[in-house]
Amino acid sequence: MTTNRTRHQTVSDIFRWPFWLGVLAAVGMASALFGNDGWDTLSWLAMAIPIAVIAWKALPGAR
Amino acid sequence: MTARSVKWWSQIHKWTSLVCTLFLLMLCITGLPLIFHDEIDDFFKSADVSARELPASTPQASLNRIVEAAHARYPQRYIQILNWDQDRANIVNLFLSETPESPAGKRPLKLSFDSRTAEFLEQDAQDGGLMQAIRIIHRDMFLGLPGELFLGLMGLLFVIAVISGIVLYAPFMRRLEFGEVRRASAPRIKWLDLHNLLGAVTLVWLAAVGLTGIMNTISLPLFTAWRAQVMPELIAPHQGKPPITKLGSIDEAVALARNVLSDNTPVSVILPTQARFGTPRHFFVWTKGTSPITSRLFTPVLIDAENGQLVRASGLPWYLRALQVSRPLHFGDYGGLPLKIIWAVLDLTAIVVLASGIFLWVRKRRPSDAANKIRSQPVTAATSLFRS
Repeated sequence: MTTNRTRHQTVSDIFRWPFWLGVLAAVGMASALFGNDGWDTLSWLAMAIPIAVIAWKALPGAR
Repeated sequence: MTARSVKWWSQIHKWTSLVCTLFLLMLCITGLPLIFHDEIDDFFKSADVSARELPASTPQASLNRIVEAAHARYPQRYIQILNWDQDRANIVNLFLSETPESPAGKRPLKLSFDSRTAEFLEQDAQDGGLMQAIRIIHRDMFLGLPGELFLGLMGLLFVIAVISGIVLYAPFMRRLEFGEVRRASAPRIKWLDLHNLLGAVTLVWLAAVGLTGIMNTISLPLFTAWRAQVMPELIAPHQGKPPITKLGSIDEAVALARNVLSDNTPVSVILPTQARFGTPRHFFVWTKGTSPITSRLFTPVLIDAENGQLVRASGLPWYLRALQVSRPLHFGDYGGLPLKIIWAVLDLTAIVVLASGIFLWVRKRRPSDAANKIRSQPVTAATSLFRS
């Protein structure tokens, strides 16, 4: 339960997280196309973050 | 957003999802092993034949000689394609079909040769096994082009479901923090929150894999359209002539292709054929670029198979280029094993999104059950979702 349950979020509040996680996924998917080594590593890091967010929020042990 | 438009988008989300979900589940499940097809193939392969150690300066053997050697082995078969093995150094593979047309469903016999000694190494009937069956189910469910196009349509519905899901995300989340899962609430509420969370986090990947999958389903029609456009011009000079009796030199054709497109490397040669991937009169030398991006773009060099003259060397139209670049984005096999693992995790997440979607719909269909639970939902706009 969060403290501001009664407050209505604006559209930009609502989409802030999905938007930036989407940007990370897009960067990750594109960067491995551009090259190997450094580009691949960037891709793994960028795409690991959305997955970490899923693990943090969705797994049964999560808050 | 007005209650009316929420209702409208809900209907779109519900019906597009309902139609495509079972097929999407099938695609996600069969797609999972396909992500790791290289690793799985390697694991089950008894022993990988490799070319023997020779000094690096050893020159390449004549391709004509290799083709002759294959012909001597299987004089009844039709040699359709020659390629340089992408994974094994100094190996050239030849693909032989039983009929001149080499129908798409029948895999050709693959012969491997040492590219420096023209020595025969191994043959592979490519009769598939489990991975091949999984690949065909994923591509067209054993229904050929109609099945492929049908799955493309399901993909389109899925992309519409993703878009309508993004639209509906806002009214559902107005009073919720990002990622908040009301675990203490009824299962329907909990799974609604999980459905929204997982969908919101993976939506770019879902849309990208969906769209590139749709691209793949129309690849054959796109290639056929291009072929229909260029073929008349290519075949016109040969109209009415008897079939080729003596082939020109493949080595010279490849050398010419290297010369014409000096930035590219040849990857395969399609020999004159009745099959739809080539022409009866030309060597089709497929080349690719050398940078990471251009190595996914293939450019054909067409050479007259009788007199060895250059006929055409130009890039493919934009729609075939788009298709070529979109392929890795669908398969996830372009950034090493870590990227494949990420693809697999996202694929499993997509399965949860699809399954929770079905669960939410089934729960809603049981009115006695649903009636109590809906009242406990804080977001009034959300109640119009899934209502028929």
